[in-house]
Amino acid sequence: MRSRLGYPLVLLILLLLFSVPLRPQIEPIANLKVLPIPLPGGDIFPPYGLYNQFFPGPPNQTPPFDPMNSDPHGITNFRGVTAMGYTSGPATDDSGNAYTVITDIRVYQGEYVGGETADPVNTAGATRSARARGTFVEI
Amino acid sequence: MPNGLFWIVKVPDSAVEISPDGNTLTIHLENVPVVDAFRFPPPVPNNIAPDEINISPYQLIRARASFDITYSKTQGTARHIRPATDDPLSPLNWAGKMWDATNSGSFSVAYDDGTFSASGTFDSAGNFGEMGKERNGFFVRRDEEEDDGDAEAQAQQSQSSLLSLKPTQVSKLAASGIAKQPEKVVLLKERVPVKVSH
Repeated sequence: MRSRLGYPLVLLILLLLFSVPLRPQIEPIANLKVLPIPLPGGDIFPPYGLYNQFFPGPPNQTPPFDPMNSDPHGITNFRGVTAMGYTSGPATDDSGNAYTVITDIRVYQGEYVGGETADPVNTAGATRSARARGTFVEI
Repeated sequence: MPNGLFWIVKVPDSAVEISPDGNTLTIHLENVPVVDAFRFPPPVPNNIAPDEINISPYQLIRARASFDITYSKTQGTARHIRPATDDPLSPLNWAGKMWDATNSGSFSVAYDDGTFSASGTFDSAGNFGEMGKERNGFFVRRDEEEDDGDAEAQAQQSQSSLLSLKPTQVSKLAASGIAKQPEKVVLLKERVPVKVSH
């Protein structure tokens, strides 16, 4: 005799066989085993204060860029590929309003030396240096 | 960001594709959690006292952004970056081999609460961009000899030893802000004097 559970069970197996696990695109940085370290320098912009980022660009602009060969990275102790660029372009919102959008999106891929917890049991979480690899995007 | 990283998210390596010759880099991301800060620095709510500004200062709206971007090296523009200082806070304390680069892409963004969404395209025409390989912090001094035999960068640097002072590609329109734009202008971030090309 055929089990009443047979059909649902087959369906479940098929679903498991052919399903593609949905993986989140973003890994929260706070959850990483090795946390990347912000660039120690950056631009000071009151009232915000220091943000750990430079803005390389050509001289004699208003407002000015940082020097042309300024580090474009936002993470220190990093070795890898960097891509960045300032852009502009047209955009339209859901009400039909037109905008000009200015972007500065940077991509970093490579290895880095960051911080991990040395002894989570006997310390409050004190760090030690550790190597890791990853892809980061500054949006 | 609580971690001190300035608007940086970690994404899977598979979101980025680099061509075998290293000349182009593409990135595709969907529904990245971001915040709309309206402007930079973000506005401070009216009901916050001056001495509270550094405690919980900003109004941010949660949103999701999707975008595709392609970055392309501009051939013949390689420059060899050497650390110009030991100062850990200096912008010039890094090394690498970078090329001028263009990029273009498309994006869409929507508030989590559904009250706003927009989409559009962008390109870097006339504005600064770069891509290449770099190292900073721990890796600067350690790997400094790595690029010593790089003939291409050295040859190009000898042709244009003052590449860092190369004439601007950003127009006076950009230098004067974007005052001639009849449309609303949305600064997705920062205060970069970008040339508006459309």
